[in-house]
This record gives sequence, structure tokens and C-alpha cells, in this order.
Amino acid sequence: MAPITTGHYLGLSAALLLIGVAGVLTRRSIVVVLMSIELILNAVNINLIAFSSNSQNVRGQIFAMFIIADAVAEAAVGLGILIALFRNKDTVLADEVDLLKW
Amino acid sequence: MPANMAPSSAEILRFLPEIILAVMGTFIMVLDPLVRGKSPKIFGHISILAMLAAIGASIFAYTNPGPAFSGMLMVDGFATFFRVLVLGVGILAVLSSYRFLDRERADTGEYHALILFSLVGQCVMVTANELIMIFIGLEISSIATYVLAGYLRDDKRANEAALKYFLLGSFATAFLLYGVAIIYGITGTTNLSAIRAVLSNTTTAPAGAVVGAAVALMFVGLAFKVSGAPFQIWAPDVYQGAPTPVTAFMSAGPKAAAFAVFLRIFMTAFETVGTGWEPLVWVSALLSMTIGNFAALVQQNIKRMLAYSSIAHAGYVLVALAARSEIGTAAAMFYLAAYAMMNVGAFAVVAHLSGKGERRLSLNDFAGLGVKQPLTAALLTIFLLSFIGVPLTGGFFGKFYIFKAALQSNLVWLTVLGLLNSAVAAYYYLRILVVMYMHEPGEATLAVEPLSFGLSAALILPAIGTFVLGIFPSALLQFADKSSIFGR
Amino acid sequence: MNLLDIVICTPLVGFLLTLFIPRSKPQWVRVFTLTVSVIAFVLSVGLATGFNSGSSNLQFVTDFIWNASPEIHYHVALDGISLWLVILSTLLTPIAILISWRSIDNRVKEFFGLLLLLEFGLVGVFAAFDLFLFYIFWEVSLVPMYFLIGIWGHDRRIYAAVKFFLYTMAGSVLMLAGIIFIYNRTGTFNYSSILDMLGSGRLSFTTGEEMFLFLAFFLAFAIKVPLFPLHTWLPDAHVEAPTAGSLMLASVMLKMGTYGLVRFCLPMFPGAARECAPWIIVLAIIGIIYGALVALVQPNMKKLVAYSSVSHLGFVVLGIFSFTQMGLDGAVYQMLNHGISTGALFIVVGFLYTRRHSLEIKDYGGVATVAPWLSTVFLITTLASIGLPTLNNFVGEFLVLQGSAQANFKWTIFASLGVILSACYMLWLYQRVFFGETPEGVRHHMPDLNLREWVAIVPLIILMAWMGTAPQTFLPPVSSATAHLLEQSKMNVPLRVHAAPAPPVIVAAEASHAR
Repeated sequence: MAPITTGHYLGLSAALLLIGVAGVLTRRSIVVVLMSIELILNAVNINLIAFSSNSQNVRGQIFAMFIIADAVAEAAVGLGILIALFRNKDTVLADEVDLLKW
Repeated sequence: MPANMAPSSAEILRFLPEIILAVMGTFIMVLDPLVRGKSPKIFGHISILAMLAAIGASIFAYTNPGPAFSGMLMVDGFATFFRVLVLGVGILAVLSSYRFLDRERADTGEYHALILFSLVGQCVMVTANELIMIFIGLEISSIATYVLAGYLRDDKRANEAALKYFLLGSFATAFLLYGVAIIYGITGTTNLSAIRAVLSNTTTAPAGAVVGAAVALMFVGLAFKVSGAPFQIWAPDVYQGAPTPVTAFMSAGPKAAAFAVFLRIFMTAFETVGTGWEPLVWVSALLSMTIGNFAALVQQNIKRMLAYSSIAHAGYVLVALAARSEIGTAAAMFYLAAYAMMNVGAFAVVAHLSGKGERRLSLNDFAGLGVKQPLTAALLTIFLLSFIGVPLTGGFFGKFYIFKAALQSNLVWLTVLGLLNSAVAAYYYLRILVVMYMHEPGEATLAVEPLSFGLSAALILPAIGTFVLGIFPSALLQFADKSSIFGR
Repeated sequence: MNLLDIVICTPLVGFLLTLFIPRSKPQWVRVFTLTVSVIAFVLSVGLATGFNSGSSNLQFVTDFIWNASPEIHYHVALDGISLWLVILSTLLTPIAILISWRSIDNRVKEFFGLLLLLEFGLVGVFAAFDLFLFYIFWEVSLVPMYFLIGIWGHDRRIYAAVKFFLYTMAGSVLMLAGIIFIYNRTGTFNYSSILDMLGSGRLSFTTGEEMFLFLAFFLAFAIKVPLFPLHTWLPDAHVEAPTAGSLMLASVMLKMGTYGLVRFCLPMFPGAARECAPWIIVLAIIGIIYGALVALVQPNMKKLVAYSSVSHLGFVVLGIFSFTQMGLDGAVYQMLNHGISTGALFIVVGFLYTRRHSLEIKDYGGVATVAPWLSTVFLITTLASIGLPTLNNFVGEFLVLQGSAQANFKWTIFASLGVILSACYMLWLYQRVFFGETPEGVRHHMPDLNLREWVAIVPLIILMAWMGTAPQTFLPPVSSATAHLLEQSKMNVPLRVHAAPAPPVIVAAEASHAR
């Protein structure tokens, strides 16, 4: 069996990116959209760590730590906003959030 | 990396504005439960003092410019310019919030703390010389602004604006990060100057397609943040739904900071691959101007109209970026300063007029303002004339410098189309003037209360600034010219 | 600081001080603004007496750096063309204030303040010798006029005001592009330095560039003139504007366009100007005839006068692009004449309107029997406007036609048609309004001229006669300036000149003749 190379990691990461983008663009439920964004962030993390290990440079791993912390903060704020919306409108579906349009 | 990791006192001084803002923001959060309900205005005063102190610290830091924290931050003229700019926007936003928060019964400490935290992020963004720091600053600023957009918890429009801003904003950040990861992978560094060195060295330069993909991904992310077309879709909804003082803040401050990052990344790290990204910026600039101006023509809601106008103005700044020159950078800096003033001023007038619950936001609600409140109307007129680009206002010189830079870089068609765009734009700004001066006063203007002290300050200061930039532009421009080389 | 600077600053200072007059004292506003504008006029007459009319050099020059980067100079000066246009602006502003004395009674402070701001912009436009400064004054004059039409105009005022603003704006942004292009090439906005560079060959444009620049400037000016087919904003603006607005618009603002053609298009882009001249002249002649024909069938008096302006300004453009000394002299003289006679026409139409509250010709008739002095004044103005000898328009039209005849006789034939038609529509208008049955509404609401109206109209009547009988008072500074311009518009032009076959010897002879 061939060893797992950086290329494999990049392929996985690209696949996660595509799945994430598809999720953001097509899903109705805002919770799923949030999860898709997390997926893209994880794709970035995989990328960074693969590069970091490939070039024996620790910077990428530090970066990944920051991104994990940021993802947590974002999720907290995002869910907070979502709960506020749910209280007022009783929905978590993106296409029912339509007060503002021209 | 240096063996001694402890920052020197000079480095701490260079980081002092951010420290002040963060400490004062936290202080307000702690103070909030202690004095809540007793003297709500105190938070505003504290935050204004904090921002003034931070401006002082920024200017003081510039007396000894240089890098800080192993080159992660770079205090140069460019950073100082934008630090002062975003802090000034913060002060004006807080000034225009006093009356608003009182009216909406929402005067809590957290509003001011969030503004201070958002400013910490913006100051980090404009100072950062390194992709990780840029990312951290961007996120500190964005997360605080997401919450601010939804600050009025019981307002459905604000909920919706916050949600849209949050979803599309974090989506854009994810794109930006993916681009950053690729850049890190192919260059092995996140420092902008080091990236530039790798990309410009023909022997070590990585494959063009990979660089192109990375630059394109980062372009998408940043274009989202500055509401450049075709990634502008979130802006009208968010600007319309958010509380008006917050709209004033986020359409000027975070946007200016995002442009600062845009300029710094593209004019330092990616400058050597400029011919590759220039068409991207060219198309985005033209689309932003055209979509923004033409969509604004048909708007009835004043906030939405100003939102589209802000997309168009982002287009003008992108023209300056497309010029790919130092005078282009200087022109963009000047324009952002002029734009920040007129935009905050215009939104402050909207906040003043909208009334409790922000019900009066239609264009017709401005009817007869020129009769009922001549001073307010005259100040808004100054901002609108500056938006149009009538001489003796800052907006005129901003446009002038941008198109001068574009012509110097032989972007003749972009210049001609941009100038024609600004003639189209005159139409919808004139609509506001028409309603204000040429219609009889309606229900909204008859009910409008007199200008409060904070609001008059938030209107008169930018009006003075608009005239100063329009009559004596060279002082600021010379500073921008000097700073446009990013302390390289 | 010389006299010219004071003339420019007076209205601006007056405007700023007006802002501080309390809103409850409209009479103070009227008296104050009138005083300021009269002071400005008296000072500007001092310019004429101090002017050395034999010299084509710039006089009353003030030149200092206003903005260091890019280098923008506050460079104002006068030559023979600017001189009279500046005085025209300062003369008509007090008159505009006088005729609005009673008819404007809401937002008095804003109205009279804006008139002073307008005067500041207009005087500045004619005195600026720095391209950038010129552009600034050009736009500054736009804003007050927009408000004058939009706030104090008639029923469709908003439509007219917005149309006026957008037309001018669309034209002027292209001019701005042209100005920036020139700056990027030369590093200066200074008009005299640019001409020096062109003359000495240090600056030259390729044929394509020159054509682009010429068209960028030309379009801005042609909209303002307005040249057929860009004239459609003019009737709307005139009809909807208050009388003072129509007066300033017709008498001075339209001259900004023709002045720009003379000042910038001809000397800076002589090759392209000559290349385009035949086409422009065709448009001018179409404008002359079209304007006259449309004026003939107008039921609305202001619209009639507005279309007559399209026709008259066609003459000015024809004179300019004939590239002859006489044509240019006539064009400049005609700018002043049109300012005075059409201004007077708008004023007397305004007098009729304040009495009868109608602009429709059919609402009038037999005014001559009720208000004989008003009718006399209107008759003199009408005769001046159709070019009766001994009145001012005759001199200008004669010079233009003679100049164009030297260039191409066919143009003269067509243009003369316009003179004949102008007699038709003006005299017919006079007949319908002043003779015939006197309707009830006219009989009881038509007092004769009062003192204030006399004061407003008499200076213009005197000038009509003066300029018609003694053109040598006014022409010498004009001729020396136009001769110089013509000289400049020949430099750099290769031998593809075909619009002006007149040999130089004859030009010189004419120059002395015109003097």
C-alpha cells in the first residue's frame, strides 16, 4: 500500500471544500448551512497541517489552532443570532427569512 | 525567530492603541451590571474617551514606526492612517448612537464594548503585516460586528440582517482562509514581505495556476468583505436591517479596514503578480459601480439606497486598486477617508429622522426637511453633494485622485465608464435633495425632534471634514502618498 | 489681491454673511444681497476702466498655488473676452435680485443667498485660467441653479431641475476626464503653460488623442450652449425656472458653453477643432433654423424665448467655428448681446407673469392700451432681439454673418434665414400680446411699470442702444483677445486646414477694420 502523501490530504481537503460550498449554496436549514461552513474551515485546517508537516514548519499548525478557536467563537455567535431569530420568527429555514428584499 | 520572545517596550508602545481599546472594552463589560439603568450615558462617554486615547496612542506610535512582535505587526504611515480613520468612524458612530439607544431603550454597556472590540479587530487588521494576524483581526472585527447588526434583539429586521451578515461573512472568511492556506503551502510563510520575495523570485516562484487559484480565493473573500460585486448581495439586506448607527459604523469602519487589508496584501505580497489579478479587479470595479448605481436608482428605502451607493463607492476604490500604483493606493486611502465622513454623516441623518422603531425610512419621509430643519438638511446636502462629487467637497477630490491614478495607469475605459457612472449616480442623490427641499413637509418631518448634542456633533464634524478635504486636500494626500509604500 | 479677486470674493462673502441673517427678517436679506451685488458690479466696472484694451496679455493676474499635489493654482485673470462676461454677470445679478423682490416670498434667505453663490460661480468661471479651477467654478455654478429651478420654479420644476443637472453633469464628467488626461501628460493645469507647451512643441497630441480630448471638452460645452440636438433640457429649464433663474440661465450660464468653446476648444485642440468645424457648423445652422421654427409655433412665451435662444446661440457657434477674426469678434459680441436682449425679454415676460399669472400667449391681448410703458419696453427689446440696426444684436449678427461669409458663403445664406425667421416669431408674439382685443383678465390686472421694475430694465435698454450704436466702446478688447486666440488656434495645425481658406493678409486687414 502506498503511503499517504501530502497530495492525499490536499485531495481530502478539496473534497471537503466542495461539499461545504455545495451545502452552503443548496441547503435550506440554517443549521446545516452553519455546519457546512464549519466543514470548509476544517478543510482549511487539514490543508494547513498537511503543508506544515510537509515543510517542517510549525506556523501552519499554530494557524490551525487559531482557526479552531475562531470557529468556536463563530459558532457561538451564529447560534446566538439564530436563537434570537427563532424566537421572533419561529423558523430556521433560510428561504423563510425574507423580510428584507427589494 | 529571535531567542528572546519577550516584546520590547517599543513594541508594546506600537501595540498600545489595541491594548487601550481591549482593556476599556472589558472594563465597560465589567462596569455594565454595576451601573445598569442608573446612568446609561456613561458607557458612551467612556468609549469615546477610550477611542480618543487610542487615536492619541496611534499617533504617538507613529513617532517611532517599525515592526512589532517578530514582524507580525507593522506600524507605518499606512497603518496609522487607517487606525485613526476607523477610530474616528467609531467616535462618530457612538456620538450618533446616544439618542438612538435612548430612543430604542437599549442603552447598555455591551453595545459600546462591542464597538470597542470591533475596533480592536480593525486596528489589528490595518496594522498586520502577516496573514495570521490579518485573519485574527478580521475575525475579531467581524464577530463583534455580526452581534452589533443584530443588537436590537426583538427587531425581526435586525435578526435577519445579523443572520445574513453572519452566514455570508463567515462563508467569505472560509474562502479567504482557503486561499491563505494555499499561499502558505506554496511559499512556506505567512509574512507578506516574505511571500512577495518568494513570488517575485523567478527561480523559486511556484506554478502560476496555483498562485492564481490562491489569489482568486483571497480576492473572493476580501471582495465579500468590502461588498464589491459580484459578491455584494449581502450588503443591501444587512445595511437595511441593522440599526442605523450600526449601519453607519459598519459601512465605513470595517469596510475601510477591509480595504486596507486588500490594499496591503495585493500591493505588497501579490504586487509582482499584478498583471494576473488586475483583470479580476477591473471587472469587479466596473460591476460594483454599475450594479450599485443602477440598483440605487429604483430604491424607495433610504437605507437600502445608501447601501447600494456604498457598493458603488466600493467600486470606485477598486478602480484605484486596479491602477496598481502607489498613487492609486494613496487615492484609495484619500477616498476612504472622504467616504467614511460623508457616509457616517448621511446615516446619522437617517438615524435622526427614522423615529422610534425605525419606522420612517422611506424616501418620502424626508419631504420638507429643508423647511422644518434647515441645518440638518443643509448638512445632509453637503454629504450628498460629496457623494455626487461636486467640487469643494472631499468626495470630489477622492474621485479625482482615483481617476487620475487610473488614467495614469492607462485604464482609459474604466475611467470613462466610472465617470459616466458617477453622472448616473447623481440622479438618485438628487432625488433625496428634491424630496428634502422641493416637497411639502410630511408626517415624518413634522414629527422629527430637534437635533441632540451628540447628533449635531456627529453631523457637523464630518461636514467640516468634508469641506477641509475638498478645499485643502493636499495635506492628507501628501501623507497618503508618503504612506502608500507600506514602510517597505 | 487685486480688483478682480475682490470682485470674485464679494459675492461669496455676501453669501456666507447672508446665512447669518435671521430667517424672520426677509427684508434685510433683500437689501443686503442687493447691496452686495451692486458693490460687486461697481467694482467690476472698475475692471473695465482699468483694462488696457490694446493688449492681448492677461490682465489683473493673480496666481498662487492653492493645492500642492496635484499642483492646482488659483490663477485668475482677464482678457478682453472674460472682461465683458464678468461684467455681464455682475450687472445681471442685482437686476435678478430686483425683479425677484416681491415675487419671491417663501424661503427668501435661501433664494437671494443662492443668487449670490451663483454669481460667485459665474464670475469665477469666466476669470479662471487654470483648468482645474475652471472645472470647480463650472460645477459650483451648477448647484445654486439646480436649487433655484427646483425650489422656486413652476409646476414641473423638479423634472426640469433634475434634467438640467444631469445633462450638465454628464457632459462635464467627460471634460474632467479630458482635464486629467492633459494633466497626466503635462503635469500642470495651468492654461497658459499648456498653451506655451503646445506652441513650443513640447506638448503634442496624436490625432486620435486630440480628437478624443476635443470631443470630451466640446460635449460639455455643447450641452451647455446648447447646440442642437443637445438642447432639450433648455426649454424645460427656462419654462419652469423663476424669472430670476431664467434670466441668469439664459443670459450668463449659456455663455459658459460658448465661452468654453472659444477659450479651450479652439486654442488647445486646433487641429481637431478645424477637422470637426464643418459638422459643428451644420449642427449650428440646423439649430438656428430649427430653434426659430419651433419658436414660431410656441403657445408659451417663455418657451418661445427659450427656443429663440437656441437659434441665437447657433449664430455664436457659427461665428466661433468660422475661424475668422470677424466671426469670432461677432460671436463674442453676440454672447453679450444675447445676454442683454434675451435677459431683458425674460424680464419683461416675467413682468407680464407677475401681473396676469400666465405664460400662455392666448391669455393676453391688447396690453398696449392698458400698460403703454411696459409695451414700449417690450417693443424695444423685441426689436433688439431681431437685430434692428442701431440696436445691439445687429452688430453681432452682422459680424458673424460676414465672418462666416469669408469662410463659406453657403453658411451665410442658411444662417440669414434665421434672422428673417426671428423677425417673424418675435413680431408675431408682440402683435398677439400687445395688440388686439383686451381680455377681461388683462384689463384689470395690468398696472404699468413701477419704479423697481424701471430700475431693473432701464440699464439693459440703455446698453442695447449703446452697444448698437457705439460698438467701438466694447469691441477693441474683444478683438485683441480674439486675434490672439486665432493666432494660437493656427499653431500646430498641419496643412490639413480646409475650413478656413482666408489668407492671413485679409485676416489682418479685417482685424483693423473691426476695430
